[in-house]
Amino acid sequence: MAEKPPFRVDLLRGTLDLLILRTLLPGPSHGHAIAKHIQRTSEDLLQVETGSLYPALYRLEAKGWIAASWELSDKGKRARYYRITAKGQQQLVNEQWKWDAFARAMGLLLKPADQERT
Amino acid sequence: MTSLFRKFSWWRQRRRREDELREELQFHLEEEAGEGEAAGLSSDDAGWAARRDLGNVTLLREDTRMLWSWLLLEQLGQDIRYGVRAMSRNRLFTVLAVLSLALGIGANTAIYSFMDSILLRSLPVSDPASLVAVRWQSKPFGSGTTNAFVMRSMDGNTYREGSSVVSGIFPFPAFERLKGASSPVLSVLFAHKPAGRVNVMIKGEAELAEGEYVSGDFFRGLALTPAVGRLFAADDDRAGAVPVAVLSLGYCERRFGDAVNATGQQILINSVPFTVVGVTPPEFFGVDPAAAPQVYLPMHASLLFDPEAGRAFLDPNYYWVEMMGRLPTGVGLAQAQAALAGPFARWVATTAADDRELANLPVIRLEEGAGGLDSLRRQYSKPLYVLLAMVGLLLAIACANTANLLLARAAARQREMAVRLSLGAGRWRVVRQLLTESVLLAFLSGALGILIAVAGIQVLTLLLANGREGFTLHAELNWHVLGVTLVLSLICGVVFGLAPALQSTRPSLMPMLRDRSVAEPRSRLRDWAPRLSLPQVLVVAQIGISLLLLVGAGLFVRTLANLQSIPLGFNRDHVLLFELNAPQAGYPESKTAAFYADLRRRFSEVPGVREATLSHASLIRAGRSHPITVDGRPTRATRLLYTGPRFFTTTEIPILQGREIADSDRQGMPQVAVVSDLFARSNFGDGNAVGRHIAVAGGMTVGGPSLVFEIVGVAADAKYGGLKRETPPVVYLSYAQVPPPRLREMTYALRTVGDPLHYVGTVRQIVHEADARVPVTSVRTQAADIDQTINQEIVFARLCSAFAILALVIACVGLYATMAYAVARRTNEIGLRIALGAGRGIVIWMVLREVCVLAVAGLAIGVPAALGVSRLVESFLFAMKPNDPRAIAAAAAILLTAAIVAGYGPARRASRVDPMVALRHE
Repeated sequence: MAEKPPFRVDLLRGTLDLLILRTLLPGPSHGHAIAKHIQRTSEDLLQVETGSLYPALYRLEAKGWIAASWELSDKGKRARYYRITAKGQQQLVNEQWKWDAFARAMGLLLKPADQERT
Repeated sequence: MTSLFRKFSWWRQRRRREDELREELQFHLEEEAGEGEAAGLSSDDAGWAARRDLGNVTLLREDTRMLWSWLLLEQLGQDIRYGVRAMSRNRLFTVLAVLSLALGIGANTAIYSFMDSILLRSLPVSDPASLVAVRWQSKPFGSGTTNAFVMRSMDGNTYREGSSVVSGIFPFPAFERLKGASSPVLSVLFAHKPAGRVNVMIKGEAELAEGEYVSGDFFRGLALTPAVGRLFAADDDRAGAVPVAVLSLGYCERRFGDAVNATGQQILINSVPFTVVGVTPPEFFGVDPAAAPQVYLPMHASLLFDPEAGRAFLDPNYYWVEMMGRLPTGVGLAQAQAALAGPFARWVATTAADDRELANLPVIRLEEGAGGLDSLRRQYSKPLYVLLAMVGLLLAIACANTANLLLARAAARQREMAVRLSLGAGRWRVVRQLLTESVLLAFLSGALGILIAVAGIQVLTLLLANGREGFTLHAELNWHVLGVTLVLSLICGVVFGLAPALQSTRPSLMPMLRDRSVAEPRSRLRDWAPRLSLPQVLVVAQIGISLLLLVGAGLFVRTLANLQSIPLGFNRDHVLLFELNAPQAGYPESKTAAFYADLRRRFSEVPGVREATLSHASLIRAGRSHPITVDGRPTRATRLLYTGPRFFTTTEIPILQGREIADSDRQGMPQVAVVSDLFARSNFGDGNAVGRHIAVAGGMTVGGPSLVFEIVGVAADAKYGGLKRETPPVVYLSYAQVPPPRLREMTYALRTVGDPLHYVGTVRQIVHEADARVPVTSVRTQAADIDQTINQEIVFARLCSAFAILALVIACVGLYATMAYAVARRTNEIGLRIALGAGRGIVIWMVLREVCVLAVAGLAIGVPAALGVSRLVESFLFAMKPNDPRAIAAAAAILLTAAIVAGYGPARRASRVDPMVALRHE
């Protein structure tokens, strides 16, 4: 296993859904791969708890934002692959917009000095 | 909607879903492990790391499942299944808890159902709220200076209410006057009057039925729709109208088999032909819940039975009719009363003879009539409130008991809970499990409570009726009460199931997983001023409440014993009583006495009948008085009894002087009387009464000539007119010498060999042969006759004893459970003590001492409470004070004994603890 980063960031409530949708945007993937992708892309800063990943996947599926099907993985094993639906893409746009607004607001509030300098 | 559909479709395929989830998680684990191995871990380590990383698989699976299914419902099913299993494992616990709660619920429901039907229910007519009952009130009269009152004679009741007298009876002219004046404020005003029991002959079969005289507007005023035919109209209630009758549906079906057959039929009422024109609707029972009339007659039909009755309709000083009215919409009670007060006051002033009568005139007042008349309410409301208080206490004990058992069980299950939590059960899930069990318990108790309530209502009806004929009080199961008591038991279950549930799921698991006796703080048993634990507080409360009920039972039982030990003066055993009323059945007045005498002779010839006699009423129910003078001086409070030959032999009242009344004392012979010892001593100073004369003023009718009787005998004093009354001076006359018009129903008394009720068939047969028109009524034994007059005391003594015993048992169960738990908890400590040389006696005493502390604490609360509360039942007691020290002492002694008996089991178990086992236990 790769060397652990000095600390990890806890996921904010509701952001897991956004991350899953974003991860699925390029193409279908199974649960384990989603977790690993989030972990790797965030440079190990974000660790997805398995205990919340699968309930979240089923929740998104129940809402109709993602769809699931059984397919063979690249190692030839049966795995449940999730892909994003049209409804999910719409949701992702909304969520992303909200997130950007939030991040910008947080940035404005937390680093006003930086902004003055630029 | 779609989400519901989705859940449903997922619920259908949940097995497949479960498999899929398991496979998916399995895949996840393998991937994770594969990565671990790739990073250089051994395959085992990689597997474990992956599993650690995944966390609580079961919880994860449940969390996921929650999304697709009615997980709550499914888990509820699991919980119930588990609860039922747990209950069947703990059978004793379950049975005790369910039984005590069910008894509490059932008893409360039964008693309250009675209260509801007697005190609270409205008449089953449309818009009962607009009905009003008309009454009057005045200052007290009839005693000392305020003797004069416009009501010179009456047939009905007056009641004391505070410092005034209230009554619902009016002269008939007042009814007519008010009817004229009421039109703006009452849409209708109608009158009624109980007719007593009338002789109804249908198809040659005579029977007595409850009759009611009603005015022509009665049924219109109540807005009743007939079940069959028509009800009375104004024209039916007039002197000279065609005689018509309306029957109640129940009576109709009994006598005719079918209501439709009855209309148009001719029946004989008191030997006058009437035509049945209609039948009242099934739910209607008349306007007085105490009496359910079976036959309704127009008011003026009374003229057909008694030509003299016409005077009652004209006499402005004879009070007898009762009135009700209906308020039109928009008119209030006060407004109607104000409008009627003036006309009534002006009318009643014209009926006063002098200024003294004018000084205290009755004033009209209107009362809500929705509940009908309130005779039952006056009779039963206080006893029922007392009973309700008793069963309320019983329910409190039952709830405390359930709470106690639940607490003890929760404590015993702390380990189980800890194991479940440590295996990954969610806390809320465990709490819900415990709650489900509590609720299940409450519902089981509720179901059983319904059965007990139904049975209780029947038993109570039997108890209250106590063999009386035509007892009309019928209570129905009251679902509201059942609901309330059920909710109460539910709350009790939830509160006491939840508190320990929350406590035992507190997440400090490690100490719990170890043996509990180590984790428990040492018992505070040896402190003499202990901080009581919750179970102990509950036990103390139970003991305190039990004491209240025991004291109550003691008071009522002793009251009953006092009543039953009153010397009667006659022998109550092996005597059969029954009533006959020949004149009412159409027997000619002139032949009535001979008819009665002939029957007495026939009865006395029945094998097994040792003596037969008759009197106008049984001694305990008689209540006749006429002004009697001795040498022109009036006698005080003298009562009369018309008796037949051998009366004193049959009743076994000793004759002190002279002779008893004989067959030869008939009309036309010298008029004779036997007087009681008290009468002789108080009216003839020298004590020798035989040969002296008494005069009955008015000759037993109003305004008749005086009749003179010679005293031929003096009898010992015997109770007359009720057990609780002081024995009055009594004059016994020969019924055969009473003026024939005054001779009506007679009560026969047969002293028999063996059970008096064996002779009922023979008696009926003899009467039927003599005259089929005369029904035999009110058949009972002399003992039952007396018991009926003290029925309330009997019911109270029985019910209260039953409740007290129940309370005692429940409290003892609570005590036993608490002590058994305490002993089990301290097995170690006790074992250690025994190992160090403590004797068995010392161990037993150690446990019993705690029992005694709890019991004494309960008594310390209960005794002052009993002293305070028993005052409330003072009016129900006879010949004793409410704070009877013997009753309280007896109750305390019983309670202490019971507590020690209940505590002895656990104490003995404590003394049997094997020190080796106890010490190795750890």
